[in-house]
Amino acid sequence: MLKNATGSLTPNSMRNIRPHWRGRVYAIAGLSIAVIVVVAVATTIGSVEIPIFTTLRILLSQLPFIDFSPDWTGSTETILLNIRLPRIILAGLIGAALAVAGATYQGLFRNPLADPYLIGAAQGAALGAVIGFLLPVEFSAMGFGLIPILAFTGAVVSVAVVYILARVGKTVPVTTLILAGVALGALWGSIYSYLIIISGDKIHGIIFWVMGSFSLSKWSEVGVVLPYVAIGIIVILLYSRSLNIMQLDEEQAKQLGVNVERTKLILLAAATLITAAAVSFVGTIGFVGIIIPHAVRLIWGPDHRFLLPLSVLSGAIFLILADLIARTVMSPTEIPIGIITAICGVPFFLYLLRRRKGIVYF
Amino acid sequence: MKKILWQVAVFVMVLVLSTSVFTACNSSETEEEKVSTIEVTDMIGRTVTLDGIPQKIVSLAPSNTEILFSLGLGDKIVGVSEFCDYPAAAKEKPNVGGYSTADVEKIVATEPDVIFVTNIHVDEILPALEQLGQTVIVIDPRNLDQVLDSFTLIGKVTGTSAKAAQIVKDLSARIEKITDKTAGLAAGDRPRVFYVIWHEPLMTVGGDTRINELIEKAGGTNIFADTAGYPTIDLETLVEANPQVIIAGTGMGEGADAPFTFARTESRLADSEARASNRVFEVNTDLVGRPTERMIDGFEQMAKMIHPELFD
Amino acid sequence: MAKLEVNDLTLAYGKTTVIDTMSFSVSKGEVLGLIGPNGSGKSTLIKAVSHVITPRSGRVILDSKDISMIHRSELARLLAVVPQTPILPSSFSAFEIVLMGRNPHLGLLRYESENDMEITYRAMERTATLPFAERRIGELSGGEIQRIVIARALAQQTEVILLDEPTANLDINHQLEILDLIKSLCTLNHLTVIITLHDLNLAAQYCDRLVLIKTGQVHAQGTPEEVITTDNIREVYGTDNCVYTHPVNGRPTVLLQAGGSRNGNLNRNNKPE
Repeated sequence: MLKNATGSLTPNSMRNIRPHWRGRVYAIAGLSIAVIVVVAVATTIGSVEIPIFTTLRILLSQLPFIDFSPDWTGSTETILLNIRLPRIILAGLIGAALAVAGATYQGLFRNPLADPYLIGAAQGAALGAVIGFLLPVEFSAMGFGLIPILAFTGAVVSVAVVYILARVGKTVPVTTLILAGVALGALWGSIYSYLIIISGDKIHGIIFWVMGSFSLSKWSEVGVVLPYVAIGIIVILLYSRSLNIMQLDEEQAKQLGVNVERTKLILLAAATLITAAAVSFVGTIGFVGIIIPHAVRLIWGPDHRFLLPLSVLSGAIFLILADLIARTVMSPTEIPIGIITAICGVPFFLYLLRRRKGIVYF
Repeated sequence: MKKILWQVAVFVMVLVLSTSVFTACNSSETEEEKVSTIEVTDMIGRTVTLDGIPQKIVSLAPSNTEILFSLGLGDKIVGVSEFCDYPAAAKEKPNVGGYSTADVEKIVATEPDVIFVTNIHVDEILPALEQLGQTVIVIDPRNLDQVLDSFTLIGKVTGTSAKAAQIVKDLSARIEKITDKTAGLAAGDRPRVFYVIWHEPLMTVGGDTRINELIEKAGGTNIFADTAGYPTIDLETLVEANPQVIIAGTGMGEGADAPFTFARTESRLADSEARASNRVFEVNTDLVGRPTERMIDGFEQMAKMIHPELFD
Repeated sequence: MAKLEVNDLTLAYGKTTVIDTMSFSVSKGEVLGLIGPNGSGKSTLIKAVSHVITPRSGRVILDSKDISMIHRSELARLLAVVPQTPILPSSFSAFEIVLMGRNPHLGLLRYESENDMEITYRAMERTATLPFAERRIGELSGGEIQRIVIARALAQQTEVILLDEPTANLDINHQLEILDLIKSLCTLNHLTVIITLHDLNLAAQYCDRLVLIKTGQVHAQGTPEEVITTDNIREVYGTDNCVYTHPVNGRPTVLLQAGGSRNGNLNRNNKPE
């Protein structure tokens, strides 16, 4: 054993290994600040021209103890505080949710192609939403109707069914989970397609919902989504070290003290809850859940204790920016956000891949 | 000599009597002009020739069906689309098509003399029908004048020109009653109007649509007249534009008055002039969306919504 | 009193019985070797003792407690396993993998302390894996990975270590290094070790006691001298062989001879009849 004069280990060699952690911690801090900056910047941009100074003053005046005498119109304040801001916050929440759910699924299934929709959450949600569109029932609770509730239920029920089907005795083998999820997802998808065909004139509304949009986001929606996403993220972060160890095979994880089945169930439940909440209000937005975790992994490594929080922050920033593009590029018309995430996400990811000389470790 | 004169007189009288009986028998509601071939140019520029007055007619769009019925041709219709619902008698007719689709086999089986379609059928249904030797006429009115033209055209094709002309005259008079008062309005007297087609996504009418023309001729300004088609717009722009009148199209399918509910209850529109002065209205989309006689009913309703002080 | 006991253990996959009513025990500070042909059930035994699989019947007793009653995270503090062909995620660094060995000692707190780092560091030092501590698993050779997993088990700081063919991919110098290390840990820290080996000579050199397994049953148990005999080996492996005594430390040594006589006159010992 190498010991220096004072009897402790050679500090130099130790320090060589630590810096990775330091860099990643700085990244988390940096991205946290970046999120706030991005939110502020996104609030100043929109199809209606509002001077930046006015925007900042309106935003700041929402904080306690800060008072500006209002020299702006009521419609400006409505636009900023009741149209843009809830929309941006919701976009950030959902980007964070999808990214961290995707990272969790990738870790759980040890599969780089996993995304939050792998085992049927998206198809179940879409099916629930279509049923909601087609039911001739008027329903309103807390300012939104039947569709988000049915979409949420569809997502959760779909994954629950998959989990139960994939159970073999006391264990749920991940390959069985994937197979069952893909199969059931296809089943929901075909029922959904049939319903679409007979939906007649409602088809436009349904397609629009499925492709995802933040156009009429309200604070009430933020209020509903936030607790699910927050709780889900906290649970997942608590299990991030276990998720690291689950990257070994299940045998080794057990031998290192991880209760594999319980960890699987908890992580699956948390990730699905987050996905269901995200999908229920804005439809299925693709690419965020698969590309963001990979990009974060390429830059900052596979350690889930950093991968997960960095995915949360990166996902939020990505979707806020994507929504910004969606609502300004062809103003006043909006492009469905799923198209933006695909167009912007894929080339960015290819660029990252090339920078790391195409070596993908997972 | 007297016998021949008498025979000629009887012959002429029989001739005159039979001619008048003949013409009297045929001057029922559907007065038929005697023509051998009819040649028309339809509304996308095709020249179509018919061998005679059509006795069996198929209509693939609700608007054309309405026009046919108002020309008194209800009995000659042998096939309609599933959405042809006005007048009530139209629902009894055999169903040969959906929204933009059509059962070509069924159509051919009814052996129609003419088929009336609209622009949405042009790409696929029209060539398919033509290949089977059918006579197809495209009715595609883009503005009020063309709506009146479609009556004239259909009247000519079906031998009901006189009735068509009467309808056109009546409708023109009603239109003029409104445009006379609104044509001279200054820009400042034209309220900003927002028409809601649907709320999720938020869809409105662009400057090249028929509804836009109705708004303008009713004395309003369509806030989104500088767009085309049926654009999806964002709420911000609407709030900033501060509409003075909001008209929601309702009656289309299940949950149909959702746009009206949206217009009345969306919290972020609460400060708009329209909501503040309680000028949020609904109009049946069949009355403004379908280019038929009833479009003028819708037009009159809109005029009252936009300029209540001019029209009671 | 035995540190670890296996009592009438039967292990089966579906209808196939792999281990049939086996019993043996290990004392504290002892190195027990499990030897036997491929497919005799050695790896399955390791899985059962680490409670990765549940026995069809019988029990495994650790410190007088049935291991099925011990909470998994506590078991991981008592018992570490070095698997035969570990699947490791290719993007983690060697250091991070060894650091995972500290997991059983950490609660929901997320970051390892300086102490944990030091233990990991020391474990890597002892297994000569420090030179590639920063490299990713995907870049390492089989032998390097083997030593990493052994380091992980050391970092786990348990009283019992199970090793499943730990020297399979190693060069001969590393083989001896690792086994020397394990042996010394046993003696110095009173670790208890169960090790499966296919190399009979290494087993004879390093183990205090051996269990020779033939198709799921104990064929012989005892000291290397008692177990590694010509007869036993012939009965279990079916080959003819020579068991000599090691000239330096007196342990049994199996000497190999090319099989099949080239002319029928030579007997097994290559002496003319």
